[in-house]
Amino acid sequence: MELFLDVCSKLGNGFVTALFLFIFTLLLALPLGLLMCFCTMSKFKPLSFLSKIIVWVLRGTPLMLQIFTIFYLPGILNLFVWPQMNTGWVWFDTTFSTRFIAALAAFAINYAAYFSEIYRGGIESISKGQYEAGQVLGLTKKQVFFKIILLQVIKRIIPPMSNEIITLIKDTSLANTIAVYELIFEAKEFMTVNGLIWPLFLAGAFYLIFVGILTVAFGKLEKKLDYFKA
Amino acid sequence: MNILEVKDLRKRFGDTEVLKGIDLSLKKGEVLSIIGSSGGGKTTLLRCLNFLETANSGEILVNGKSVYLARDGEKPTVTLEAQLSFGLVFQQFNLFPQYSVIENLMLAPKLRADAKGNTERQEIYKDIRAHAEELLAKVGLTEKADAYPCQLSGGQQQRVAIARALMLSPEILCFDEPTSSLDPELTGEVLRVIRSLKDSERTMIIVTHEMEFAKHVSDKVIFIADGVIEEEGTPEELFENPKSEKTRTFLSAGKNDI
Ligand SMILES: Nc1ncnc2c1ncn2[C@@H]1O[C@H](COP(=O)(O)OP(=O)(O)OP(=O)(O)O)[C@@H](O)[C@H]1O
Ligand SMILES: [Mg+2]
Repeated sequence: MELFLDVCSKLGNGFVTALFLFIFTLLLALPLGLLMCFCTMSKFKPLSFLSKIIVWVLRGTPLMLQIFTIFYLPGILNLFVWPQMNTGWVWFDTTFSTRFIAALAAFAINYAAYFSEIYRGGIESISKGQYEAGQVLGLTKKQVFFKIILLQVIKRIIPPMSNEIITLIKDTSLANTIAVYELIFEAKEFMTVNGLIWPLFLAGAFYLIFVGILTVAFGKLEKKLDYFKA
Repeated sequence: MNILEVKDLRKRFGDTEVLKGIDLSLKKGEVLSIIGSSGGGKTTLLRCLNFLETANSGEILVNGKSVYLARDGEKPTVTLEAQLSFGLVFQQFNLFPQYSVIENLMLAPKLRADAKGNTERQEIYKDIRAHAEELLAKVGLTEKADAYPCQLSGGQQQRVAIARALMLSPEILCFDEPTSSLDPELTGEVLRVIRSLKDSERTMIIVTHEMEFAKHVSDKVIFIADGVIEEEGTPEELFENPKSEKTRTFLSAGKNDI
């Protein structure tokens, strides 16, 4: 019984870490993705080309590799770029918060790339006629975007967004590779230290419940925008 | 004085010249119909007048005042006033789906009132709503004020689009094939609305394939072929007595279709 409570409290802590990682990633990646999206859609060719390359790399390489790259970036720079800087292998020191921030940065950048493509698909799917109707009525470009286009885009991107966001919850487990004490990390500890398997399945239940809650929430949101067709 | 004058308007897409020098003039309250075969440049002309395309050269005057003057290589700026002297009703309606019918009508005037920084916003909003309700009555859709576009038939959507365009009282209201994407039984209700606008002396330019309608509603008809005005005149002249060979071929081809 004591063991069960211990497992629960450790996993609870791990869940809170995962939750923070999830929330902060969203807070950063949602706006950053929009910025990336505008860059890839920019009429200024060098900018759109560069951002398309960045999106390609971020979506084309494993997230785990990106986590390592950011975590070991100082070491990599030290080896190849500025050997004399002698910064050591990782950021400054390897306290928990630095590792958390490294993971967060990797998640935010990676997910921003995915979000940017979802935004782009959403924006490009709106008919030209909507912009033109706005212009003919004397609206400014900004008014057209915020008063006419945005809500239609939001409606269209909710399904792919909810998919991506649900994937993110499970992807937070990748942070365990740089020793961020999230759910899977804690559960694995019980396996290596106490030889217990079931904490891992309990961790799975945490994810399931959280995904369930989000699924219901997205369903509600979708329903709320059901009053119009776009 | 002419409410609209267009001088030598030209538009190129890449290397192909789509409008090869269009001249036309229109008096207040007149209705001009534009007919012509597919690809002739009718839509492009309306889009240039509404500044959705940038004409490469030529001049547009509204009430004698130049609102657009382009020489090759320069892109003139279009003032809000110039933009609002024209209204456009699209073939595909282009209503804003997330807004109800009355909100579709009120959106632009409200944003305009906000931009002017009026202090008595509530008063102005009330006036805007009254105006919107009046126009909805005019197009026969009072009871649909709170419906959303997806709940309306094509004919009803197009009537809303007409009312929305009228909200800003454009000097010249343009229609690009307003009934072409409608089922035949729905064209009548839209054409009736347009006819009622003529009765209230609204200046209009109508691109249409409805020859009978053009004959009855227009004061002037122009036939556009390959980017030039091939022939222009009163409906009687153009439909009963076309001078140009091309016009004759076009009109008789239409008859054979039926
Ligand atoms: N954005 C564009 N880019 C390139 N070419 C265009 C563009 N818009 C129109 N065109 C070309 O310009 C010509 C005139 O087109 P327009 O749509 O004005 O004809 P229209 O008279 O309205 O024909 P329809 O009766 O089929 O509507 C066509 O050959 C068309 O292919
Ligand atoms: Mg056309």
